Amino acid sequence: MSRLRRDLRMERATHRIEGTPRPRFDLAAMLAATPAAAGRLRRDPRGEERLALVPGTLRRRLDRTQRVAASAVAAPAAAVAEMAPKLVVIAEPAYLVAVVPDAPGGRLTPHDRQVIGAARLLADAGGGAVLALGEMPGEDLAAAGVDRVLGLPVAGYDPEARAALLHAVLDGLDIRHALLPESADGADLARRLAALTGETLFAGAESLTAKAVTRAAQGRRIEQRRAPPRLITLAADASAPHGGAPHEAIPVVFALPALMPGAILSAEFVPADPARVGLDEADFVVSAGNGVRDFTAFRALVEALNATPGASRMVCDAGLMPRAAQVGASGTVLDARCYFALGIAGAPQHLQGVARCEHVVAVNTDLHAAMIERAGLAIVADAQKVMPALIEALTGALAVEAQP
Amino acid sequence: MRIAILLSAGRHAVSGRPAPVSVELQAIRLARELIRQMAGEVDGNAAGDITGFHAGPDAGPLKDALGHGLPRLIQLSIGAQDDPLPSLAAALGAERFDLVLAGRSGQGGEDAGLLPYALARTLGLPIVADACALAAGPQHGTVSLEQALPRGARRRLTLRLPALVTVHPAAPAPLPFAFAAMRRGMLETREGVPAPRAAGEVEERAYRARPKLIAKSAAGASATERLKAATEAASSGGRLIVDPAPEDAARAILAHLRQIGVLRD
Ligand SMILES: Cc1cc2nc3c(=O)[nH]c(=O)nc-3n(C[C@H](O)[C@H](O)[C@H](O)COP(=O)(O)OP(=O)(O)OC[C@H]3O[C@@H](n4cnc5c(N)ncnc54)[C@H](O)[C@@H]3O)c2cc1C
Repeated sequence: MSRLRRDLRMERATHRIEGTPRPRFDLAAMLAATPAAAGRLRRDPRGEERLALVPGTLRRRLDRTQRVAASAVAAPAAAVAEMAPKLVVIAEPAYLVAVVPDAPGGRLTPHDRQVIGAARLLADAGGGAVLALGEMPGEDLAAAGVDRVLGLPVAGYDPEARAALLHAVLDGLDIRHALLPESADGADLARRLAALTGETLFAGAESLTAKAVTRAAQGRRIEQRRAPPRLITLAADASAPHGGAPHEAIPVVFALPALMPGAILSAEFVPADPARVGLDEADFVVSAGNGVRDFTAFRALVEALNATPGASRMVCDAGLMPRAAQVGASGTVLDARCYFALGIAGAPQHLQGVARCEHVVAVNTDLHAAMIERAGLAIVADAQKVMPALIEALTGALAVEAQP
Repeated sequence: MRIAILLSAGRHAVSGRPAPVSVELQAIRLARELIRQMAGEVDGNAAGDITGFHAGPDAGPLKDALGHGLPRLIQLSIGAQDDPLPSLAAALGAERFDLVLAGRSGQGGEDAGLLPYALARTLGLPIVADACALAAGPQHGTVSLEQALPRGARRRLTLRLPALVTVHPAAPAPLPFAFAAMRRGMLETREGVPAPRAAGEVEERAYRARPKLIAKSAAGASATERLKAATEAASSGGRLIVDPAPEDAARAILAHLRQIGVLRD
């Protein structure tokens, strides 16, 4: 209503070129003068395409998400990092960020690495250093991004004593944040520590920056957000592990207090029964594909290896294994430490189910199968021949052990 | 054996309606079975009793817990925003309980699972987390319990009583609901200790699911490369043996499995 009606005839008439018998108009000048041109920008599709062109590829490729532009800026920074000394040394830390990894058997879990990555974030924001508490080999910690290490000498399973030692460390050193994984043992330890110190615990943080942490509450209906407090536990897959140069991981000296005996009189670890645990919880999965024909031998092998049985979709479709045993995108995504694939080609849908497995062993007749490429130990051989040999080696080894 | 069970006002995981928390109902079952086992051993009426405690404005859906096998529930009446810790500490401190059971974490409140630890500290009790089975211990005044660990593993502990134990969802499912048991169960209301919570520096907003971290691929990589990065995480270099004798293959596989520590013997 309020917009003026344009009179196009009148506009054209003002651009009439005089002195020609036929009426002629200067349309270029008219286009430049139209108010519309000033209001909304005209798109330049060709220019956009030029920007999106990915350099250095044989075929012409366009990247419309503009990630190439970002990487082109990041590349010189990486070059600088390579020139810098290999080891990052923080000689005079402004403060410490303590991390208590679970490290079952002295090895860092992926969750531990993520927690150390988050601690690195908090430490780097103000010139602090990351202090790992617990007994672990140094190289592992250095690569994960740890500056200082302090052992907690606790024999056996005694979380009470561990919490008491941690409490002493937190009191004695200049520790600004203490981060623990929200795993079975880490969560327990963090809550003990919170009860001992009387501090608030930010439990199960799902995102972490130097300015704010968030967590879910009220049955995942509410998100709580605040500045990072001193005690934080971090949920799995909430933070990226440290990806830069290794840090020094040097031991620090600290006088730990003496310990009192706790209420736990005995503790005994009972390994999981592989026949009972679900595929998603299993630690070691042995899986059969289309290349396995002798399923009696396969089942005997699974039992002899004390593993959980799995299968590819071809095998489940054929009804040779139950559907619950299917590994892959439309089956179960494994969280196992080791995956042993017998006669499996390694289709992308299958490999997605194995993505989180640390070790893969494959037996296949095809040298060019994707599973062979993925495997840490790949054997190009007939599964029907390898399976009986394995069973024999296992039972033979047991018999040899039983003799003396 | 006197057992106390802490019950919280939960919300159903899907509907969001007020409901008892499932692990706390599982705790009721563990307690009943422990007492039945002890009654079998001692034979007689010295078996023990189970009491539920809830601190909150009203018992509401927790009456269902009576139907799941809890004989007696004591509600400590406090305001909706009050801290339940002082009320529970006073009520549990007044009576001598051998074993206090609690859920691993609530569902519908703060959900931090911190209350059992704070309570254990106030009462001076030792605490053990994540029990999924309870049994009478080898000596008098002990229980042996199984602690649930990730990947289906367990840890068997012997614990000196009195103690506080939190229950893991891997414990046996709750006893089925029985209407008559709910009618029979006793519900008692007592005054709690009012303890207004100090306003924290926590900011609350509606929950928004965050994307989980996935393996990052190189910037500007093609679709195949990104799929590769998603499917081929941490390939460990790789040793390839072509056409070995079956025995050699078996030996190599077993050596590798032993080296990475998955094969126990
Ligand atoms: C939507 C969709 C979802 C899918 N989801 C899944 C899923 O979740 N899980 C899944 O597994 N698949 C899934 N698939 C199927 C997947 O694409 C493959 O078809 C399937 O994984 C192939 O199974 P395979 O490797 O056992 O069989 P094949 O592809 O037939 O491979 C058999 C392999 O065994 C080898 N072999 C043959 N004989 C021997 C021998 N004597 N000794 C040793 N090796 C031998 C061969 O060289 C070959 O590499 C899905 C497919 C689709 C379309």
